[in-house]
Parts: sequence; structure tokens; C-alpha cells
Amino acid sequence: MSRRRKSSVKIVSEADLVRKLAKALSEDGYRVRSEVSNMGQSVDMVATRGRWVTVIEAKMRDWRRALKQCQGHEQVADFVCVAIASMRVADELLRTACARGYGVIHYDGKKGEFGWALRPRLNRLVWVPQRRHWARKMKGVALCR
Amino acid sequence: MPIDHWMMFGTFAEQRHFVYPAVDTYRGAIINGNMAAYAPDGLAAFLLEKTASLLYIVDPLTHAFQHDPDFITDKGGEAKSSIKALAEIYGEPIQGTVGKRPILPDDFADNTVLRGFVRRCLHFQSRRLADLMANSDAMKYLEEDEAPVLEPYALVAPYFYMTETTYEDWLDVGVRAARHAKAEYPDAKLFASVVLSQGVILDERIRTAIVRALAQEELSGYLLWVDNLDEQAAGGAELKGLLAVARDLRSGGTREVINLHGGYFSVLAAGVLGGQAMTGVTHGPEFGEFRSVVPVGGGIPIARYYIPALHARVRYRDALRFLTAKKWLDDTATFHRSVCNCAECLETLHGDTANFVEFGRGTVKDVRRSGGIVRIEYPTTATKLHCLRHYLQRKAREYQFAATASRGLILDDLRRGHEEFKKVVGLEGVSHLSLWEKTLTSPVA
Repeated sequence: MSRRRKSSVKIVSEADLVRKLAKALSEDGYRVRSEVSNMGQSVDMVATRGRWVTVIEAKMRDWRRALKQCQGHEQVADFVCVAIASMRVADELLRTACARGYGVIHYDGKKGEFGWALRPRLNRLVWVPQRRHWARKMKGVALCR
Repeated sequence: MPIDHWMMFGTFAEQRHFVYPAVDTYRGAIINGNMAAYAPDGLAAFLLEKTASLLYIVDPLTHAFQHDPDFITDKGGEAKSSIKALAEIYGEPIQGTVGKRPILPDDFADNTVLRGFVRRCLHFQSRRLADLMANSDAMKYLEEDEAPVLEPYALVAPYFYMTETTYEDWLDVGVRAARHAKAEYPDAKLFASVVLSQGVILDERIRTAIVRALAQEELSGYLLWVDNLDEQAAGGAELKGLLAVARDLRSGGTREVINLHGGYFSVLAAGVLGGQAMTGVTHGPEFGEFRSVVPVGGGIPIARYYIPALHARVRYRDALRFLTAKKWLDDTATFHRSVCNCAECLETLHGDTANFVEFGRGTVKDVRRSGGIVRIEYPTTATKLHCLRHYLQRKAREYQFAATASRGLILDDLRRGHEEFKKVVGLEGVSHLSLWEKTLTSPVA
């Protein structure tokens, strides 16, 4: 996300969070797909821009689960992110995400906007054959509108 | 001394795996009684035509009648067809209670009732498939010296699941059933099935009481099944309990013990390292290294790759993460040297590690859930087959290795797996290997 994005509707569920973030990312020029399968898991969001692929696991609060799910995406995505809608971003989430190179997107409910709590680093663990296989399958998934 | 490699017959779709990787890999098949009751023709054909000389045991599955009827009834509340067929063969008191209420020890209080039930149960095991095979067309074309053994490897006395709170009542029924079975079939190889909760194997007093009671009976061996004992997740106390009950049942090596659902720990226990605490170990073509006595749902199928050094089947995505972290997918020579060089891996990779994706391919299907439609990825048929064949190749090697390698080599293998993987999977992911070593090398009490 190049800048903070405002959202006027209150987010009450994970589905709301995914929808709102997909809209915000689309407005920033990303091509966004949701519920994309990857090796038996379903990725909440895959945002592509140019040749870069970013996967995002969104959670209202359960960031530990999001971190676990993200591990499975390290073999295919250039950037791996957690989106969270809790009141504040837990220090432990930031520490773990930083250590793994993940980004953290925070939804501030009071302001109704998304912002980077931590920007992701380029993931070096991509295994190219799996990425190619996954990319081919992803093309069949419709873009979010 | 070889370890008897048994495989659990699950579905007819899996029958081709009983001759893989070789026709003589398996000593025999364990066949569930309800399948033998419901589809005997297919099973007779499987034993006679699809396998060369596979032995078999019909598990009479009598414990199925002691649980809540919900587990054996369909949505309409009727007993499932295969269970109904089995109940009809067993007669009373099973037939009258199936699907209505759980069978109780009191139902067998009368020795005449129990003896009749035991007689029908053993007759079913000894003749149901044997007679069909004897009368089949395939038998006409066999030379005399080619004729296979048609009777089961052993007959199993009716048995029931025992927990800490129910064992006293059910043990009495089981012991009496074994006695009647011997009286009815004095010349047969007779087994008792010892199906225990994890609580029982943790309690030395109960364990000993069960073993002592069964030791009084004239039995050749046992089928052993500890409820839902996942050897990779189990603690030291559970593993020690399993080992202790198996060693005690062996009666100084005079009786056979076949673990009905066992993994590499059991295979090691049956081999050099465990001092032949078991004579055989069973698993299914689709894993089945542990199983709940009361059936539970299977969940969404997922591709899993058996990592030989971990002696564990892990989700494909985790296997990929571990192997890329180790840089073992950089080239095929490294992969085959460090991960696996079985025939299935050689053929699937075919000189290019990019083909490792074949162990994890899936197709996505829309599935309706309470929250709406979700997309779920299911492994393709080819992927399932690759994973399965690799697993069966490795299992065959494990049985051979555990039976013939030196203690030093077996321990080195466990330690190497622990050291190689602890940095990528964490201590929790490798701790089963050190726990197995510790348990199996502890002095026997």
C-alpha cells in the first residue's frame, strides 16, 4: 500500500477485513484474488503487481494462527504479510514478523484506515518449481472487484 | 528374525497395494469382519487371485457392538449394512441388540449364550472366505503344489475394548470367550485381541491383571491395539506402557503379538532394538499407524510425504519447507542421497527435482460450508498414488532394517534424523526420535 486508505464501514468480521483490504489494495493498483489455494491451504488474499506476488493472511485478532499459515506460503510468495484488525499490534507479532521478514498491515478501527505496522522484506525462500505450478493454478481464480 | 509385516485391508480400491513394492513384502492382510460378512466374494477373489500367498486374519470386530449405536447406524438409525450382515452371522445376543443399544457384559453372563456366540464367530472366520476360495473357478486351474492355504492364519476369539473403568467386566467375558474358543477349535491357532485404552497401558496393576488372566488360557498369540496411540505424539509413559504390555503378552517369546496399528516405534520394538517385543506390526496402505477404537471423521484429505529420516509422514507443504531449508531439493543427486532413493522417488523425480511438485499437486473444488462456498484443494489421484507408493517403499525398508541392522546402525539412524532436522523443524518435530531411542534402550523392568 502506497498510502493510508480510509474505510467508512466498520469491520466486524474477517470477511469484512478481507473485503475492505482487497478494495484498498485494488485502488492502489494491485490485482487481488481471495481464497487462493496453496498446497492444501487457502490464502486469504494474493495481491500481484508487476512480477511481484504478495500473500496476506487476515485475522481480526488471532495473529499467531496467521503467522502459522504464512509459513506455508514462503515457498511461493515474494512478500508475506499478516493483516490484523485488533486495537493495537502486539509487540510479539512485530518481533516474530520482523524476524521472518513478514509485513504487518494494521486496520485502525477508530480512524477506519489501513497502514503498515511493518513493511515486508523480499522473501528468499521461494522454490521456483512450486511457484510456477502455483502461479499457473492461480490464473484460474477470479480477481476481486 | 524377520518382523511380520501385516497390512490392514481398507477398501477394494487399495487391493493392488498389497503386492507393492513386491509380491512378498507382506506376511498377510487383516480383514475386518464386517467386510468379510458383506463382501465375501470380492475378498475371496482378492486373496486368491490378486495376491500370491498372502496370509490373512479376519478381525471379528466384536467390539463394534459395545459402543453407542450411533457409531454403527446410518442417518435413518438403521444398523449399517455391513454391520447388520455381521450381526446376522453372529446371532444372539448381538443380532437382537445391534443398532438399538450397546451390548453389555451381562448379555454374556450365561455360558451357553457365550459359547454359541463364540462358535458362530469362529466358524465365520474359519469358513466364510475359505469356502468361497475353495469353490471358486480360480482353484480349478491351480496345480496341487500351487494351492494356497485357504484358512486364516489364526482365529480370533470374540473381544471387547477395555478401559480402566470397564476392564474387570470385559476381561471376564474375553477370558471365557477364549476358553470356549479353545474348546470349540482345539487344534486351531487361536489369538485373543487385546484392545486397550491408553489409561490401561499406563496402569501397571491393570496391565498385569489383563496379561495374567489371558496367560492362563491356551492361546498362540494376540492382536494388540491401543486406542489412538500416535507413536510420534505419545509421551514416554505411553510408549513404555505399550512396550511393557507387548513384552508381557509375548510370554517369554512363546506367544505371537501383532500390533494392529503401529508405526516405526512398534517396528523397532519388534526388531533388534526392542528385543522382539512384538512379532508383527500392521498399518494400512493409507497410513493407519494409529486409530481410534470408536471411529472418528477423517477430515479433508491432504497430500503427505513420508520423510524417511524423521520416520514421519508430513504435509507436503511442510515437507517442501523442510527440504528446501536443507537445500536437499537443489539437485536430484543430493535429494536421492539425503532424502530418498526409493523406486517411486527415482521415477517421479526422473532426474529433475522440480518434479517433486508431483507429490503435492491438487485440484480445487468449491465446497459449501456454513459461512458460504469455500475453495478446498484435494490431492489428485496421481499425487495420492505417488505419496502412497513412496510410503510403502519406505515401510518395507523400515521393517527390513529394524529386523536385520545392528543396534548401532539403528540408533545412528535415529540420532541422524534428530540432528539433521532439529534446526528446521524445531525440537518438538524431532523429539519423538530421541524418545523412541530412550524408551527402547531402557533396561527391561
